[in-house]
Amino acid sequence: MSAILETRDVVVRFGVLNAVSHASIEVVEGRVTGLIGPNGAGKTTCFNVITGLQEPTSGKVFFEGKDITNKNPYKRARMGIARTFQKLEVFGSLSARENILVAAEQRKTWDRSGFDPNKVCDEMLAKVGLTDVSEFMVGTLPTGTARLVELARALASNPRVLLLDEPSSGLNEEETEEMASLLRKFVDDGLAVLLVEHDMSFVMGTCEYIHVLDFGTIIATGTPAEVQANAQVQAAYLGTETVEEAS
Amino acid sequence: MRLKVSPRLISALVVALIVLFLITKNWGGASVNAKTISSFLVVGIALGGIYAITAGGLVVTYATTGIFNFAHAAIGCFLAFCYWQLTVKQGLPTLVAIAITLLVIAPAIGFLLDKVIMRRLRDAALVVQLMVTVGLMLTFMGITLTIWSPKTGRTLPQFFESSKGVQLGDVTATWHRIITVVIALLVALGLRFLLYRTRLGISMRAVVDSRSLAGLTGAKPSIISGASWALGCMTAGLAGILIAPETGLVVDNLTLIIVVASAAAAIAQLKSIPMAFIGGLIIGLAKSFSSVYLEWGTDWAYADEAIPAAILFIALLFLPMARLETGKIRITKRTERLTKPWEAALGAGVMIALVGAWANGWIPWISGTTFGERSAVWLGRGAGFMVIGLIMISLIPLIGWAGQVSFANFAIAGIGAVLFSHFGGQNGDAIGIVFVMLVCAPLGLMIALPALRLKGLYLALATMAFAEVADKVIIRHPNMLDPSATGVLFKPVNIFGITISSDPSDRRAFLMFLVVTFALLFFMLEMLRRTRWARRWIAMSDSPAASATIGVNLTTTKMMVFMLSGAMAGFAGCMFGLQRGALSVDSFPLFAGLPLVLLLAVQGVRYPVAAFMGVIGLASFPALYEVLGKPSWLSAIELIGPGIAAIAMAYRPEGAVFYSGRDLAGLLPWRKDARLEKELMVAKEREQNIGKDEINDMGLTRPFTPDKVAQLDRVLDITDLVDEKKMVPTGGAS
Repeated sequence: MSAILETRDVVVRFGVLNAVSHASIEVVEGRVTGLIGPNGAGKTTCFNVITGLQEPTSGKVFFEGKDITNKNPYKRARMGIARTFQKLEVFGSLSARENILVAAEQRKTWDRSGFDPNKVCDEMLAKVGLTDVSEFMVGTLPTGTARLVELARALASNPRVLLLDEPSSGLNEEETEEMASLLRKFVDDGLAVLLVEHDMSFVMGTCEYIHVLDFGTIIATGTPAEVQANAQVQAAYLGTETVEEAS
Repeated sequence: MRLKVSPRLISALVVALIVLFLITKNWGGASVNAKTISSFLVVGIALGGIYAITAGGLVVTYATTGIFNFAHAAIGCFLAFCYWQLTVKQGLPTLVAIAITLLVIAPAIGFLLDKVIMRRLRDAALVVQLMVTVGLMLTFMGITLTIWSPKTGRTLPQFFESSKGVQLGDVTATWHRIITVVIALLVALGLRFLLYRTRLGISMRAVVDSRSLAGLTGAKPSIISGASWALGCMTAGLAGILIAPETGLVVDNLTLIIVVASAAAAIAQLKSIPMAFIGGLIIGLAKSFSSVYLEWGTDWAYADEAIPAAILFIALLFLPMARLETGKIRITKRTERLTKPWEAALGAGVMIALVGAWANGWIPWISGTTFGERSAVWLGRGAGFMVIGLIMISLIPLIGWAGQVSFANFAIAGIGAVLFSHFGGQNGDAIGIVFVMLVCAPLGLMIALPALRLKGLYLALATMAFAEVADKVIIRHPNMLDPSATGVLFKPVNIFGITISSDPSDRRAFLMFLVVTFALLFFMLEMLRRTRWARRWIAMSDSPAASATIGVNLTTTKMMVFMLSGAMAGFAGCMFGLQRGALSVDSFPLFAGLPLVLLLAVQGVRYPVAAFMGVIGLASFPALYEVLGKPSWLSAIELIGPGIAAIAMAYRPEGAVFYSGRDLAGLLPWRKDARLEKELMVAKEREQNIGKDEINDMGLTRPFTPDKVAQLDRVLDITDLVDEKKMVPTGGAS
């Protein structure tokens, strides 16, 4: 399986601090790839590099084999990269429906398949279970619900790769489970997912492949089992307690 | 390998060539010798020093509070008048007067501003932050003009006026100027030291980035922000006192220094005090160079005044592109619903009916007039207000939806009016209006172009600078508006069988034409709000980063809305010309355009109906004057109106239309949705406020350990300051 999305030796330097150093991440279609690590390990910075919000100091980003390192964020989105944010980036003064509609309409600029944005919007609302609150301004919705709006918005642009930045934060247990089953559904439809997450049981249960970041460096990659067995990972991040919880 | 030419280098070359061309073309013929050079330097450095102090204060306030204070120079002007009152009028010794002005009055203003207004603006939208300070600027101007009537001339003596000064080559540098330069240097060094080398200063800077982090220093965030505003006011006052003897105690001139200070602040990228100082010097030297060596000729008589604005534009070209920031999203506390087409149509109908009934005398009116007749004067005024309404409504998509704060639309309307006088207006040709709109659309875009890739505040600065340039240079150019030409510039225009002109007999028809056009625009905007264009603009304003990651090209999206707004302003300009009949070069000053934006913002810049409410607000003052006679309390209210508006905005940032609309909708029996959303919103607000208080109290309630302080110091990079022995567990802003 070849990677649809790949970062090669990405370095991001803020002043003297190396937020990310030589991180190489591969995302493959049809599976959930995890990107984990302690706070400040550089996970969100990696997302920003992939989506073009952060210019890397050095290194390259490839999408479907093409170098997209210098492409504008919106061009990457048009190629098929969508994301959600750790801190909500919803359009607070638009309704839930409009949030998704903006993305669906925008897709018209590059997707000539003749779809109906309104229909896509309805589908997405149904998919994440937001039909009931679709007319509410997102600014008034609870965080968990707003997170689903963000997810639906990302999906509405029909991405090939979906980057999710801590999708379970702000969700209760039930909602988290729903999110996990949603993710499985997306992946079964052929989507590639890259997931940043703190909830270890969620990560270990959902991801087929995991990259572990610590102080900006990838310290381990592999299946959940391999990563959990890795001594370096245990020392740096997971700790015995979390591993037990996950296994 | 491809040869890479940096776009910055190209821009630099182009700018250098243009500047060189302007210099050679307008060379005044003064010989370049020791005498002229030294006079150019002495004047330039002294002037630059004053600008540097103003700019430094502006940057400090911005760096420590996150708010760009347009009222900075107006406050400085007010303090300069206070100083005049104390010295010249009351005869106090200079030093005592300075101490009272700068150490008592200035900090008092600063703390008061912080306490009453500024503290609430930290998380407010950019437009609210800017409009509040614009309101303050107008208020300080108004207060100063009222206390110290401009009819009396006042002069402020220079320091050590009687002494000769120092002979530098062939030029004498007065003591005042020498003192100015020395003080400017001291202020720059002092501010730099304060912000980077003292705990108070570091706390001040930390407050902007993270209130909770600042709380950890043990300092009370409220005291820190109060101190920041006090410091800002002190620098403003200092600059005011130093510059007033050079330029004279004239409110407009002293307040307009804000344009200069903005340019210097842009050079400093709004954060570097040394660069603000250098920026001030550059502008001072450029102005001095122009006055010593250049001769602008009658056509460009006021080009001199455009130098700071031009430098601002150049600085914007060289600023690094803004990153798309995430995690800074403002939590909206707003419930609204898309207006349905029939509701918009009803609203438009009500507007037409209201104004129509008034114009035809179907509703009772004030003393002296009877039913049936409206005086031509009042019909003319009504038309004037509607024209202003047209300018205001042009701002709705731009500021309200796309979040692009622009102060230039009044100036664009002015240029539109002048253009119309050349193309069509003088022959009563309606097609000229279309032409003007087609010109004003790209004009609106061009103003925004240098700031498109930068953050929103720079756009506001650029548009303000443009408004100043338009007034001083473009409109005053004889090819645009000949100052000697008097009389009618606009012949009556016939549109759809209605004759519109400034002629008294046509005024009712004109007013009706205007209100119908306005209502149509209102309806069109409400419909536009329901389309993908408006959705995209609002999305871009709410979160640029998220918009980009769903494929929105931010640049073209912004360009679109600037063109729409420009065209609408151009149309308003044509109507302005037709309503006045003739134009004067003084019709479009910057200070006349700012209140319009403020008036609209107070009503609610996101809602097209706010422009109509703004018209009613405008009309209410002259109407009340006529009803009540001319009570002094009313003029007092009118005077501090902008201040009241500013405070209202700080407490009710969404605007009057929103709050009254929400509450009214909740009363309607069939608007269950409005009640439900209000409940949701109140619950959410409560949830957020709980967290906020915790953060606010952090520094007060949570005791912390020396190693926490050390950690904080490391984060803030002040290890050289940390003295383990002196560390007090409770920290302190001492």
